[in-house]
Amino acid sequence: MIVFYLIPIETGLMTAITDPSAYTGSAPYLPPAPGDVSLGPFTNAVDALSQGLANSFILVVPATILSGLLGSMAAYGLTTVDWKGQIGIYMLFVAGIFIPYQAVLVPLTQFWYNVVPLRTTVESVAPMIPLLQEFHWKLIALIVTHTAYGIPICTLLFRAHYKKLSDEMVEAARLDGASITRIYRRIILPLSVPMFAVVFIYQFTQIWNDLLFALTIIQFGDASVVTQDLVSIGVSQEGTNFPLRMAAALVAALPTLLVYIFFGDKFAKGVTA
Amino acid sequence: MAELTLDSITKVFTEDDGNEIVAVDDVDFEIADGEFLVLVGPSGCGKSTTLRMVAGLETITEGEIRLGGRRINDKPPAERNIAMVFQSYALYPHMTVKQNMSFGLEESTDMSDDEIDEIVTDTAEMMGIANLLDRKPDDLSGGQQQRVALGRAIVRDPEAFLMDEPLSNLDAKLRATMRTELQRLQEDLGVTTVYVTHDQTEAMTMGDRIAVLDDGILQQVGTPLECYHTPNNYFVAGFIGEPSMNFFELDVEGDALVGEHFEYPISDQLRGAVSGSDSVTLGIRPEDVEFRADAMPTEPTDFACTVDVVEPTGDANNVYLTFDDDNSDEPRTFIVTVSGMDRVESGDKVVARFPESAIHLFDEFSGEALKNRSLEDVESVDISI
Repeated sequence: MIVFYLIPIETGLMTAITDPSAYTGSAPYLPPAPGDVSLGPFTNAVDALSQGLANSFILVVPATILSGLLGSMAAYGLTTVDWKGQIGIYMLFVAGIFIPYQAVLVPLTQFWYNVVPLRTTVESVAPMIPLLQEFHWKLIALIVTHTAYGIPICTLLFRAHYKKLSDEMVEAARLDGASITRIYRRIILPLSVPMFAVVFIYQFTQIWNDLLFALTIIQFGDASVVTQDLVSIGVSQEGTNFPLRMAAALVAALPTLLVYIFFGDKFAKGVTA
Repeated sequence: MAELTLDSITKVFTEDDGNEIVAVDDVDFEIADGEFLVLVGPSGCGKSTTLRMVAGLETITEGEIRLGGRRINDKPPAERNIAMVFQSYALYPHMTVKQNMSFGLEESTDMSDDEIDEIVTDTAEMMGIANLLDRKPDDLSGGQQQRVALGRAIVRDPEAFLMDEPLSNLDAKLRATMRTELQRLQEDLGVTTVYVTHDQTEAMTMGDRIAVLDDGILQQVGTPLECYHTPNNYFVAGFIGEPSMNFFELDVEGDALVGEHFEYPISDQLRGAVSGSDSVTLGIRPEDVEFRADAMPTEPTDFACTVDVVEPTGDANNVYLTFDDDNSDEPRTFIVTVSGMDRVESGDKVVARFPESAIHLFDEFSGEALKNRSLEDVESVDISI
């Protein structure tokens, strides 16, 4: 079973360390002959993807944190704080999960390119702020889009978690004199850590692997994220450079893998909590 | 520290389908400064709702709650200067004991960290939990968590304590210990306390006074012994006391109260009490039934009985008797408590006497007490050391 699951990765890895010139004719799943081992594909892949990787990080980190944080706040407001009409609002959030990506692609493009003057704003302030590039406006648009799309599912996850928290504990905090925001900061937020791990892993993977929104909003250019660059890498008229493509795929997958490794134990705690 | 007044408090919940449920109906009582009042009643009687209204966790539909003479209806919980101990303890699981106890002072006062630290340490020492200050609630036993919850309430130095079944999650032995400890603590601190429980033993043993609540309606407020010996009605009589009072439904017919299996003579003293009723409920506490072995009934208040089951508790025996006149397949039993040293066996023929001075009579329909036991034979015991 394990062998069955690992063969594709093994094959990818073996291919990725084969010298491209020696690739044709060798079995992709067998280790390359000692003379044909090459780290060239990896270094080439990292070189080619560096801009995409950087853009992806600029996109993923804020979008993940924002959607997690806003989802947690929304869930707190909709679950732990008691007010009329919250079920209705919550239903709107849930409905958000079911809006298909395809249905919003055109409106989304219109929105970011024609309705919101984000481009002109960023282009005018970019020279004044260090590190901010003009093309970053597309990444900002993508961050907002992913955050908005992520909030419903994050709210759902956090709400399930908050429903299990003791009402008496929150009431005790109220009697202790804590305001709604203080209760969130000092009681609810610290108790949400395992759930944040779940949400962060989930959102990180989703956003990192997303190609559809990136193609729609970024389209092409300097702001391209890693998934976009991956599409065309190693493809040329002379043929396909499989070792390079495999190496690039592994490099692009590495961050999500690392996130799983680093947050894995907290993730398990959050899922079972 | 202050007196707490509940003035015609009513709570109506409106369900989603528009149904209105009256959880608490026109409840009135006053708790003097430093008094320990136990609010007791069966599950769902509205006692917790009443407490939560005092705490400010539920809105008050009608009526007024005053603490130290000031109306607190519209004040948020934080401004009422009340501390509450919850059934689940409601400790903050991610904080240490020290942080748990400091939280309230940090949120509600301007004290410096040093001052808070000092108060928390002092209280922890008083509660015997000073060695636990750096631990988290999950690492504590139930009894220790209970102490922390109490300590958290005490550091606030509130005008009133509210306790919602704080001992119900403890095992029996610890519960008995904590009962006395809580009482002693409350006496030392002298803080007005409202204590909610469904356990009549806690009610009897802990409170200066108890308030019995049923179905949202206040049945009686009085000292434990008042409620025990002179219950206002059928409900209080049956609820207070363990084992419960025996009840028999009887019809008033001429000179006797006639039941299915026995007749009880109406003496001149009883005449007045039953004159307005067609049928009454006779109640007698298990320990008030006089009981003797193998004798024929000699008085009209004697009844020939057979021992059905004996439950020895060590210090006493709970004896279940059936009337000899009762020939049904499942004869009804009543309970008599006798000394644990008495030898009683199942199947013994005995005589049970219901002394007139010890019986209670309740109107069958309203449940109002028509006659309570006389307290003339209550002896005061002089203890000279």
